[in-house]
Amino acid sequence: MATPVVAATEAVAQQLPRRFGNKQIFLLIPFALSECRPNHVVAFIRPKPRQPPNLATFVVPLTFNKLDLRDYLLHAYNVEVTSVRSFINQPTPRQKFGHMGKWYRPRSQKMMIAELVKPFVWPEAPAEKDREAFDHAIFTKMNKEREKHMKRQMDPSDIPLRTRMAEPKERTTLKEQAEEFLKSGEWTNGKQEGEKWSEVEKELSI
Amino acid sequence: MAAAAMRPSMGALGRISSSTPAVALRPLTQTASLSTTAALLKRHKYPGARDNKDHNKKRGESALRRTGTRWRLSMSDEPLPRPVPRSELPAIETDPDHGLWDFFPNRTTVANPPEEDAKHGRSWSVEELRHKSWDDLHRLWWVCAKERNRIATGNWERNKRRLGFGEAEATGRDREVRATMRAIKHTLTERMYTWQDAVKEATNDPEINLSGDGPAFTPRDYLEEGEAGVAEEDQVAEAAEETAEKTEPATTAAIPDPTTIPASKAQAEAPRL
Repeated sequence: MATPVVAATEAVAQQLPRRFGNKQIFLLIPFALSECRPNHVVAFIRPKPRQPPNLATFVVPLTFNKLDLRDYLLHAYNVEVTSVRSFINQPTPRQKFGHMGKWYRPRSQKMMIAELVKPFVWPEAPAEKDREAFDHAIFTKMNKEREKHMKRQMDPSDIPLRTRMAEPKERTTLKEQAEEFLKSGEWTNGKQEGEKWSEVEKELSI
Repeated sequence: MAAAAMRPSMGALGRISSSTPAVALRPLTQTASLSTTAALLKRHKYPGARDNKDHNKKRGESALRRTGTRWRLSMSDEPLPRPVPRSELPAIETDPDHGLWDFFPNRTTVANPPEEDAKHGRSWSVEELRHKSWDDLHRLWWVCAKERNRIATGNWERNKRRLGFGEAEATGRDREVRATMRAIKHTLTERMYTWQDAVKEATNDPEINLSGDGPAFTPRDYLEEGEAGVAEEDQVAEAAEETAEKTEPATTAAIPDPTTIPASKAQAEAPRL
Protein backbone atom coordinates (compact mmCIF):
# COMPACT_ATOMS: atom_id res chain seq x y z
CA MET A 1 0.00 0.00 0.00
CA ALA A 2 1.52 3.31 -1.07
CA THR A 3 1.06 6.14 1.35
CA PRO A 4 0.59 9.64 -0.10
CA VAL A 5 4.14 10.57 0.89
CA VAL A 6 5.59 7.53 -0.87
CA ALA A 7 3.45 8.14 -3.93
CA ALA A 8 4.58 11.77 -4.06
CA THR A 9 8.22 10.75 -3.73
CA GLU A 10 7.82 8.25 -6.53
CA ALA A 11 6.17 10.82 -8.76
CA VAL A 12 9.05 13.23 -8.17
CA ALA A 13 11.58 10.47 -8.79
CA GLN A 14 9.95 9.63 -12.11
CA GLN A 15 10.16 13.23 -13.24
CA LEU A 16 13.86 13.48 -12.39
CA PRO A 17 16.21 12.72 -15.24
CA ARG A 18 17.69 9.24 -15.14
CA ARG A 19 21.03 9.15 -13.49
CA PHE A 20 22.30 6.61 -15.98
CA GLY A 21 22.33 6.20 -19.72
CA ASN A 22 24.26 9.40 -20.25
CA LYS A 23 27.60 7.83 -21.11
CA GLN A 24 28.50 8.78 -24.63
CA ILE A 25 30.08 6.35 -27.00
CA PHE A 26 31.75 7.32 -30.23
CA LEU A 27 31.99 5.38 -33.43
CA LEU A 28 34.81 7.36 -35.00
CA ILE A 29 37.58 8.06 -32.55
CA PRO A 30 41.36 7.68 -32.40
CA PHE A 31 42.65 4.16 -32.04
CA ALA A 32 43.91 4.86 -28.50
CA LEU A 33 40.31 5.22 -27.29
CA SER A 34 38.98 2.37 -29.38
CA GLU A 35 37.69 0.59 -26.26
CA CYS A 36 34.87 3.16 -26.17
CA ARG A 37 33.50 2.02 -29.52
CA PRO A 38 30.08 0.41 -29.37
CA ASN A 39 31.12 -2.84 -31.01
CA HIS A 40 30.68 -5.05 -27.98
CA VAL A 41 29.44 -8.59 -28.21
CA VAL A 42 27.29 -9.79 -25.32
CA ALA A 43 26.19 -13.42 -25.09
CA PHE A 44 23.21 -14.55 -23.01
CA ILE A 45 24.03 -17.73 -21.10
CA ARG A 46 21.72 -20.56 -20.06
CA PRO A 47 21.19 -20.39 -16.29
CA LYS A 48 22.36 -23.12 -13.94
CA PRO A 49 19.70 -25.75 -13.12
CA ARG A 50 18.57 -24.19 -9.83
CA GLN A 51 19.10 -20.57 -10.74
CA PRO A 52 15.93 -18.52 -10.17
CA PRO A 53 14.32 -17.03 -13.29
CA ASN A 54 14.91 -13.43 -12.26
CA LEU A 55 18.66 -13.85 -12.72
CA ALA A 56 20.14 -13.63 -16.19
CA THR A 57 23.78 -14.41 -16.93
CA PHE A 58 25.77 -12.70 -19.68
CA VAL A 59 29.27 -13.02 -21.05
CA VAL A 60 30.47 -9.48 -21.62
CA PRO A 61 33.69 -7.85 -22.86
CA LEU A 62 36.36 -7.41 -20.20
CA THR A 63 36.02 -3.63 -20.47
CA PHE A 64 32.35 -3.70 -19.43
CA ASN A 65 31.31 -2.65 -15.97
CA LYS A 66 28.01 -3.21 -14.16
CA LEU A 67 26.62 0.16 -15.12
CA ASP A 68 27.50 -0.48 -18.76
CA LEU A 69 25.51 -3.70 -18.77
CA ARG A 70 22.52 -2.01 -17.15
CA ASP A 71 22.59 0.74 -19.79
CA TYR A 72 23.12 -1.74 -22.58
CA LEU A 73 20.19 -3.95 -21.59
CA LEU A 74 17.85 -1.01 -21.08
CA HIS A 75 18.62 0.83 -24.29
CA ALA A 76 19.31 -2.00 -26.71
CA TYR A 77 16.85 -4.59 -25.37
CA ASN A 78 14.41 -2.61 -23.21
CA VAL A 79 15.11 -4.88 -20.25
CA GLU A 80 15.03 -3.35 -16.79
CA VAL A 81 17.52 -4.55 -14.24
CA THR A 82 17.59 -3.95 -10.50
CA SER A 83 21.17 -4.95 -9.81
CA VAL A 84 24.16 -6.54 -11.47
CA ARG A 85 26.82 -8.87 -10.12
CA SER A 86 30.02 -9.42 -11.99
CA PHE A 87 32.98 -11.77 -11.88
CA ILE A 88 35.90 -12.81 -14.03
CA ASN A 89 36.77 -16.38 -14.89
CA GLN A 90 40.47 -16.96 -15.27
CA PRO A 91 41.16 -19.98 -17.45
CA THR A 92 43.87 -22.46 -16.56
CA PRO A 93 47.13 -22.36 -18.55
CA ARG A 94 47.02 -24.31 -21.81
CA GLN A 95 49.47 -25.52 -24.40
CA LYS A 96 49.43 -24.56 -28.01
CA PHE A 97 49.00 -27.37 -30.54
CA GLY A 98 47.48 -29.81 -28.09
CA HIS A 99 50.29 -31.01 -25.85
CA MET A 100 53.35 -30.04 -27.86
CA GLY A 101 53.53 -26.25 -27.93
CA LYS A 102 54.31 -23.35 -25.66
CA TRP A 103 52.36 -22.84 -22.46
CA TYR A 104 50.11 -19.81 -22.35
CA ARG A 105 47.12 -18.58 -20.42
CA PRO A 106 43.97 -17.92 -22.47
CA ARG A 107 42.29 -14.54 -22.11
CA SER A 108 40.04 -14.17 -19.08
CA GLN A 109 36.32 -13.96 -19.48
CA LYS A 110 33.94 -11.62 -17.72
CA MET A 111 30.49 -12.71 -16.71
CA MET A 112 27.69 -10.68 -15.24
CA ILE A 113 24.50 -11.77 -13.54
CA ALA A 114 21.68 -9.27 -13.83
CA GLU A 115 18.66 -9.29 -11.54
CA LEU A 116 15.70 -8.77 -13.81
CA VAL A 117 12.49 -6.91 -13.03
CA LYS A 118 10.53 -9.30 -15.25
CA PRO A 119 11.53 -12.97 -14.89
CA PHE A 120 12.75 -14.86 -17.91
CA VAL A 121 12.51 -18.65 -18.13
CA TRP A 122 14.76 -20.31 -20.68
CA PRO A 123 13.33 -22.88 -23.07
CA GLU A 124 14.30 -26.47 -22.36
CA ALA A 125 17.46 -27.74 -24.03
CA PRO A 126 16.60 -29.93 -27.04
CA ALA A 127 16.69 -33.67 -26.44
CA GLU A 128 19.19 -35.85 -28.31
CA LYS A 129 16.65 -36.90 -30.89
CA ASP A 130 15.78 -33.27 -31.65
CA ARG A 131 19.36 -32.44 -32.53
CA GLU A 132 19.33 -33.98 -35.98
CA ALA A 133 19.55 -30.56 -37.58
CA PHE A 134 23.00 -30.25 -36.01
CA ASP A 135 24.15 -33.72 -37.18
CA HIS A 136 24.44 -34.72 -33.57
CA ALA A 137 25.08 -38.45 -34.19
CA ILE A 138 28.13 -37.90 -36.40
CA PHE A 139 29.31 -35.12 -34.15
CA THR A 140 29.37 -37.33 -31.04
CA LYS A 141 31.00 -40.19 -32.92
CA MET A 142 33.74 -37.94 -34.21
CA ASN A 143 34.31 -36.43 -30.81
CA LYS A 144 34.63 -39.83 -29.23
CA GLU A 145 37.20 -40.91 -31.80
CA ARG A 146 39.12 -37.69 -31.39
CA GLU A 147 39.22 -38.09 -27.63
CA LYS A 148 40.48 -41.62 -27.97
CA HIS A 149 43.18 -40.48 -30.35
CA MET A 150 44.19 -37.63 -28.08
CA LYS A 151 44.45 -39.99 -25.13
CA ARG A 152 46.71 -42.31 -27.10
CA GLN A 153 48.87 -39.36 -28.14
CA MET A 154 49.18 -38.00 -24.62
CA ASP A 155 50.24 -41.31 -23.07
CA PRO A 156 51.58 -43.88 -25.57
CA SER A 157 52.64 -46.16 -22.71
CA ASP A 158 49.00 -46.72 -21.80
CA ILE A 159 48.48 -49.75 -24.03
CA PRO A 160 45.16 -51.52 -23.50
CA LEU A 161 45.11 -55.22 -22.60
CA ARG A 162 44.67 -57.74 -25.40
CA THR A 163 41.30 -58.68 -23.99
CA ARG A 164 40.18 -55.04 -24.12
CA MET A 165 41.31 -54.49 -27.70
CA ALA A 166 38.99 -55.09 -30.62
CA GLU A 167 39.64 -58.40 -32.41
CA PRO A 168 41.44 -57.84 -35.72
CA LYS A 169 39.54 -58.77 -38.87
CA GLU A 170 42.26 -61.14 -40.12
CA ARG A 171 41.99 -63.15 -36.96
CA THR A 172 38.27 -63.63 -37.38
CA THR A 173 38.50 -64.73 -41.01
CA LEU A 174 41.40 -67.06 -40.28
CA LYS A 175 39.38 -68.66 -37.53
CA GLU A 176 36.44 -69.19 -39.89
CA GLN A 177 38.67 -70.77 -42.50
CA ALA A 178 40.26 -73.09 -39.94
CA GLU A 179 36.86 -74.24 -38.72
CA GLU A 180 35.76 -74.97 -42.27
CA PHE A 181 38.94 -76.95 -42.91
CA LEU A 182 38.41 -79.05 -39.82
CA LYS A 183 34.83 -79.75 -40.82
CA SER A 184 35.37 -80.60 -44.49
CA GLY A 185 38.89 -82.04 -44.15
CA GLU A 186 40.22 -80.35 -47.27
CA TRP A 187 41.32 -76.93 -48.22
CA THR A 188 41.91 -75.07 -51.42
CA ASN A 189 43.17 -71.67 -52.32
CA GLY A 190 41.30 -71.72 -55.61
CA LYS A 191 44.30 -72.73 -57.70
CA GLN A 192 45.09 -76.05 -59.36
CA GLU A 193 47.95 -78.18 -58.19
CA GLY A 194 51.30 -77.51 -59.80
CA GLU A 195 50.07 -74.32 -61.31
CA LYS A 196 53.11 -72.26 -60.58
CA TRP A 197 53.27 -70.44 -63.87
CA SER A 198 50.29 -69.43 -65.82
CA GLU A 199 50.31 -69.26 -69.61
CA VAL A 200 49.62 -65.94 -71.19
CA GLU A 201 46.75 -66.52 -73.56
CA LYS A 202 47.44 -63.76 -75.97
CA GLU A 203 50.64 -62.22 -77.26
CA LEU A 204 51.26 -58.97 -75.39
CA SER A 205 53.52 -56.20 -76.55
CA ILE A 206 55.72 -55.26 -73.67
CA MET B 1 7.84 -37.42 36.96
CA ALA B 2 7.99 -36.29 33.36
CA ALA B 3 4.21 -36.11 33.27
CA ALA B 4 4.21 -33.90 36.33
CA ALA B 5 6.73 -31.60 34.71
CA MET B 6 4.57 -31.35 31.61
CA ARG B 7 1.33 -30.59 33.37
CA PRO B 8 1.75 -26.82 33.86
CA SER B 9 2.94 -26.43 30.30
CA MET B 10 -0.11 -28.18 28.92
CA GLY B 11 -2.32 -25.85 30.96
CA ALA B 12 -0.50 -22.88 29.58
CA LEU B 13 -1.01 -24.18 26.06
CA GLY B 14 -4.72 -24.31 26.55
CA ARG B 15 -4.77 -20.75 27.72
CA ILE B 16 -2.67 -19.34 24.87
CA SER B 17 -4.23 -20.87 21.85
CA SER B 18 -7.61 -22.25 22.64
CA SER B 19 -8.63 -22.19 18.97
CA THR B 20 -5.93 -24.60 17.81
CA PRO B 21 -5.78 -28.07 19.30
CA ALA B 22 -2.70 -28.88 21.35
CA VAL B 23 -2.05 -31.96 19.23
CA ALA B 24 -1.44 -29.89 16.14
CA LEU B 25 1.21 -27.90 17.95
CA ARG B 26 3.21 -31.00 18.76
CA PRO B 27 4.11 -32.65 15.48
CA LEU B 28 5.94 -35.93 15.71
CA THR B 29 8.77 -34.72 13.56
CA GLN B 30 10.32 -31.36 14.15
CA THR B 31 9.80 -29.14 11.10
CA ALA B 32 11.67 -26.05 12.24
CA SER B 33 15.17 -25.67 13.61
CA LEU B 34 13.94 -23.61 16.55
CA SER B 35 11.21 -24.79 18.83
CA THR B 36 7.91 -23.33 17.70
CA THR B 37 5.60 -24.70 20.37
CA ALA B 38 3.64 -22.27 22.49
CA ALA B 39 5.15 -20.58 25.49
CA LEU B 40 4.95 -22.14 28.91
CA LEU B 41 4.20 -18.75 30.44
CA LYS B 42 5.03 -18.31 34.04
CA ARG B 43 5.54 -21.27 36.29
CA HIS B 44 2.49 -22.14 38.25
CA LYS B 45 2.73 -20.58 41.66
CA TYR B 46 0.62 -21.50 44.60
CA PRO B 47 0.75 -20.18 48.17
CA GLY B 48 3.48 -21.95 50.04
CA ALA B 49 5.15 -23.24 46.92
CA ARG B 50 8.78 -23.98 47.32
CA ASP B 51 11.16 -21.45 45.87
CA ASN B 52 13.60 -22.87 43.37
CA LYS B 53 16.87 -21.83 44.82
CA ASP B 54 18.88 -21.46 41.66
CA HIS B 55 16.53 -18.74 40.28
CA ASN B 56 17.02 -20.21 36.84
CA LYS B 57 14.70 -18.43 34.40
CA LYS B 58 14.99 -21.24 31.93
CA ARG B 59 14.30 -24.13 34.25
CA GLY B 60 12.20 -26.76 32.58
CA GLU B 61 12.98 -25.67 29.01
CA SER B 62 14.26 -28.56 27.03
CA ALA B 63 14.96 -28.96 23.35
CA LEU B 64 14.82 -32.74 23.71
CA ARG B 65 11.36 -32.74 25.22
CA ARG B 66 10.25 -29.88 22.92
CA THR B 67 8.87 -27.80 25.72
CA GLY B 68 9.29 -24.46 23.98
CA THR B 69 10.17 -21.22 25.66
CA ARG B 70 8.76 -20.16 29.02
CA TRP B 71 7.50 -16.82 27.77
CA ARG B 72 5.23 -16.12 24.93
CA LEU B 73 6.91 -15.12 21.67
CA SER B 74 5.52 -12.78 19.08
CA MET B 75 5.02 -15.60 16.57
CA SER B 76 3.61 -18.12 19.07
CA ASP B 77 0.10 -17.96 17.59
CA GLU B 78 1.22 -17.49 13.98
CA PRO B 79 0.63 -20.45 11.70
CA LEU B 80 4.06 -21.19 10.28
CA PRO B 81 4.47 -21.40 6.51
CA ARG B 82 5.29 -24.83 5.21
CA PRO B 83 8.00 -25.18 2.60
CA VAL B 84 6.76 -26.23 -0.83
CA PRO B 85 8.99 -28.38 -3.00
CA ARG B 86 10.26 -26.67 -6.13
CA SER B 87 8.47 -29.15 -8.36
CA GLU B 88 5.07 -28.21 -6.92
CA LEU B 89 5.51 -24.46 -7.34
CA PRO B 90 3.40 -22.88 -10.08
CA ALA B 91 5.31 -22.47 -13.33
CA ILE B 92 6.57 -18.97 -14.03
CA GLU B 93 5.47 -17.73 -17.41
CA THR B 94 7.78 -15.57 -19.46
CA ASP B 95 6.39 -12.49 -21.09
CA PRO B 96 6.20 -13.22 -24.85
CA ASP B 97 7.40 -9.66 -25.49
CA HIS B 98 10.34 -9.92 -23.10
CA GLY B 99 13.33 -8.05 -24.45
CA LEU B 100 15.69 -10.93 -23.77
CA TRP B 101 14.04 -13.01 -26.50
CA ASP B 102 16.03 -10.83 -28.88
CA PHE B 103 19.13 -12.75 -27.85
CA PHE B 104 17.76 -15.91 -29.47
CA PRO B 105 17.63 -16.59 -33.19
CA ASN B 106 15.27 -19.43 -32.42
CA ARG B 107 13.04 -19.63 -29.36
CA THR B 108 13.01 -23.42 -29.13
CA THR B 109 16.59 -24.56 -29.66
CA VAL B 110 18.22 -21.18 -28.83
CA ALA B 111 21.03 -21.92 -31.31
CA ASN B 112 20.21 -21.80 -35.00
CA PRO B 113 20.86 -25.06 -36.85
CA PRO B 114 23.60 -24.72 -39.49
CA GLU B 115 21.11 -24.90 -42.34
CA GLU B 116 19.29 -21.84 -41.02
CA ASP B 117 22.51 -20.02 -40.24
CA ALA B 118 23.74 -20.45 -43.80
CA LYS B 119 20.69 -18.64 -45.16
CA HIS B 120 22.16 -15.19 -45.46
CA GLY B 121 23.09 -12.82 -48.22
CA ARG B 122 26.12 -10.61 -48.63
CA SER B 123 27.04 -7.64 -46.52
CA TRP B 124 26.13 -4.05 -47.38
CA SER B 125 28.72 -2.37 -49.55
CA VAL B 126 30.10 1.10 -48.89
CA GLU B 127 28.64 2.36 -52.16
CA GLU B 128 25.14 1.37 -51.07
CA LEU B 129 25.56 2.93 -47.64
CA ARG B 130 26.76 6.26 -49.05
CA HIS B 131 23.17 7.00 -50.05
CA LYS B 132 21.79 6.33 -46.57
CA SER B 133 21.03 8.90 -43.90
CA TRP B 134 22.58 8.97 -40.46
CA ASP B 135 19.39 7.53 -38.98
CA ASP B 136 19.42 4.58 -41.34
CA LEU B 137 23.07 3.85 -40.62
CA HIS B 138 22.50 4.10 -36.89
CA ARG B 139 19.59 1.68 -37.07
CA LEU B 140 21.55 -0.73 -39.26
CA TRP B 141 24.48 -0.62 -36.83
CA TRP B 142 22.28 -1.75 -33.95
CA VAL B 143 20.65 -4.43 -36.05
CA CYS B 144 24.16 -5.74 -36.72
CA ALA B 145 25.19 -5.46 -33.06
CA LYS B 146 22.17 -7.45 -31.93
CA GLU B 147 22.73 -10.05 -34.65
CA ARG B 148 26.27 -10.55 -33.40
CA ASN B 149 24.93 -11.03 -29.87
CA ARG B 150 22.49 -13.60 -31.22
CA ILE B 151 25.29 -15.48 -32.97
CA ALA B 152 27.45 -15.38 -29.82
CA THR B 153 24.56 -16.70 -27.71
CA GLY B 154 23.93 -19.53 -30.19
CA ASN B 155 27.64 -20.41 -30.28
CA TRP B 156 27.80 -20.63 -26.52
CA GLU B 157 24.70 -22.80 -26.33
CA ARG B 158 25.92 -25.13 -29.11
CA ASN B 159 29.33 -25.58 -27.51
CA LYS B 160 28.16 -25.99 -23.93
CA ARG B 161 25.23 -28.29 -24.73
CA ARG B 162 27.22 -30.17 -27.39
CA LEU B 163 24.36 -29.80 -29.82
CA GLY B 164 26.50 -30.66 -32.84
CA PHE B 165 27.99 -28.93 -35.86
CA GLY B 166 27.31 -25.38 -37.02
CA GLU B 167 30.33 -23.34 -36.03
CA ALA B 168 31.49 -22.74 -39.60
CA GLU B 169 28.08 -21.46 -40.68
CA ALA B 170 27.83 -19.17 -37.66
CA THR B 171 31.30 -17.80 -38.35
CA GLY B 172 30.37 -17.12 -41.97
CA ARG B 173 27.31 -15.22 -40.89
CA ASP B 174 29.28 -13.25 -38.33
CA ARG B 175 31.84 -12.32 -40.97
CA GLU B 176 29.17 -10.77 -43.19
CA VAL B 177 27.73 -8.82 -40.27
CA ARG B 178 31.15 -7.50 -39.35
CA ALA B 179 31.77 -6.50 -42.97
CA THR B 180 28.58 -4.43 -42.86
CA MET B 181 29.68 -2.74 -39.65
CA ARG B 182 33.04 -1.96 -41.20
CA ALA B 183 31.30 -0.46 -44.23
CA ILE B 184 29.19 1.76 -41.97
CA LYS B 185 32.33 3.07 -40.27
CA HIS B 186 33.96 3.61 -43.66
CA THR B 187 30.96 5.61 -44.90
CA LEU B 188 30.82 7.80 -41.80
CA THR B 189 34.56 8.45 -41.91
CA GLU B 190 34.30 9.54 -45.51
CA ARG B 191 31.40 11.78 -44.62
CA MET B 192 33.30 13.40 -41.79
CA TYR B 193 36.37 14.14 -43.92
CA THR B 194 34.19 15.72 -46.60
CA TRP B 195 32.48 17.85 -44.00
CA GLN B 196 35.82 19.01 -42.57
CA ASP B 197 37.00 19.94 -46.05
CA ALA B 198 33.76 21.84 -46.68
CA VAL B 199 34.23 23.85 -43.46
CA LYS B 200 37.79 24.69 -44.49
CA GLU B 201 36.55 25.86 -47.88
CA ALA B 202 33.79 27.90 -46.31
CA THR B 203 36.17 29.89 -44.10
CA ASN B 204 37.90 31.26 -47.18
CA ASP B 205 34.65 31.92 -49.02
CA PRO B 206 33.53 35.56 -48.65
CA GLU B 207 29.93 34.58 -49.40
CA ILE B 208 29.68 32.35 -46.35
CA ASN B 209 29.36 33.60 -42.81
CA LEU B 210 30.32 30.96 -40.20
CA SER B 211 30.07 33.24 -37.16
CA GLY B 212 26.47 32.26 -36.53
CA ASP B 213 25.07 35.85 -36.74
CA GLY B 214 22.91 36.57 -39.70
CA PRO B 215 22.41 34.47 -42.77
CA ALA B 216 25.12 31.92 -43.40
CA PHE B 217 25.06 32.27 -47.16
CA THR B 218 24.76 35.64 -48.92
CA PRO B 219 25.42 35.51 -52.64
CA ARG B 220 27.42 38.59 -53.51
CA ASP B 221 26.23 39.39 -56.99
CA TYR B 222 23.22 38.38 -58.98
CA LEU B 223 23.14 37.84 -62.68
CA GLU B 224 21.61 40.71 -64.51
CA GLU B 225 18.91 39.84 -66.94
CA GLY B 226 19.83 39.87 -70.59
CA GLU B 227 23.56 39.76 -69.91
CA ALA B 228 23.95 36.07 -69.47
CA GLY B 229 22.98 33.47 -71.99
CA VAL B 230 20.87 30.45 -71.24
CA ALA B 231 23.90 28.16 -71.21
CA GLU B 232 25.76 30.37 -68.78
CA GLU B 233 22.74 30.57 -66.54
CA ASP B 234 22.65 26.82 -66.30
CA GLN B 235 26.30 26.68 -65.34
CA VAL B 236 25.89 29.31 -62.67
CA ALA B 237 22.83 27.55 -61.28
CA GLU B 238 24.78 24.34 -61.02
CA ALA B 239 27.66 26.09 -59.27
CA ALA B 240 25.25 27.72 -56.85
CA GLU B 241 23.69 24.41 -56.05
CA GLU B 242 27.07 22.94 -55.32
CA THR B 243 28.05 25.72 -52.96
CA ALA B 244 24.68 25.57 -51.27
CA GLU B 245 25.12 21.92 -50.65
CA LYS B 246 28.55 22.48 -49.17
CA THR B 247 27.44 25.26 -46.91
CA GLU B 248 24.31 23.62 -45.62
CA PRO B 249 25.90 22.24 -42.45
CA ALA B 250 27.13 25.74 -41.67
CA THR B 251 23.56 27.02 -41.44
CA THR B 252 23.15 25.49 -38.02
CA ALA B 253 24.63 27.81 -35.46
CA ALA B 254 27.05 25.53 -33.65
CA ILE B 255 28.23 23.61 -36.73
CA PRO B 256 27.36 20.15 -35.39
CA ASP B 257 29.17 17.07 -36.47
CA PRO B 258 27.14 15.44 -39.26
CA THR B 259 27.44 12.12 -37.48
CA THR B 260 25.52 13.53 -34.53
CA ILE B 261 22.74 15.53 -36.16
CA PRO B 262 19.51 14.83 -34.27
CA ALA B 263 16.92 12.65 -35.91
CA SER B 264 14.50 15.41 -36.82
CA LYS B 265 17.09 17.50 -38.61
CA ALA B 266 19.03 14.70 -40.18
CA GLN B 267 16.74 14.15 -43.12
CA ALA B 268 16.48 17.80 -44.06
CA GLU B 269 19.92 19.11 -43.25
CA ALA B 270 22.37 16.28 -43.51
CA PRO B 271 24.73 16.99 -46.35
CA ARG B 272 24.21 14.66 -49.23
CA LEU B 273 27.66 13.52 -50.09
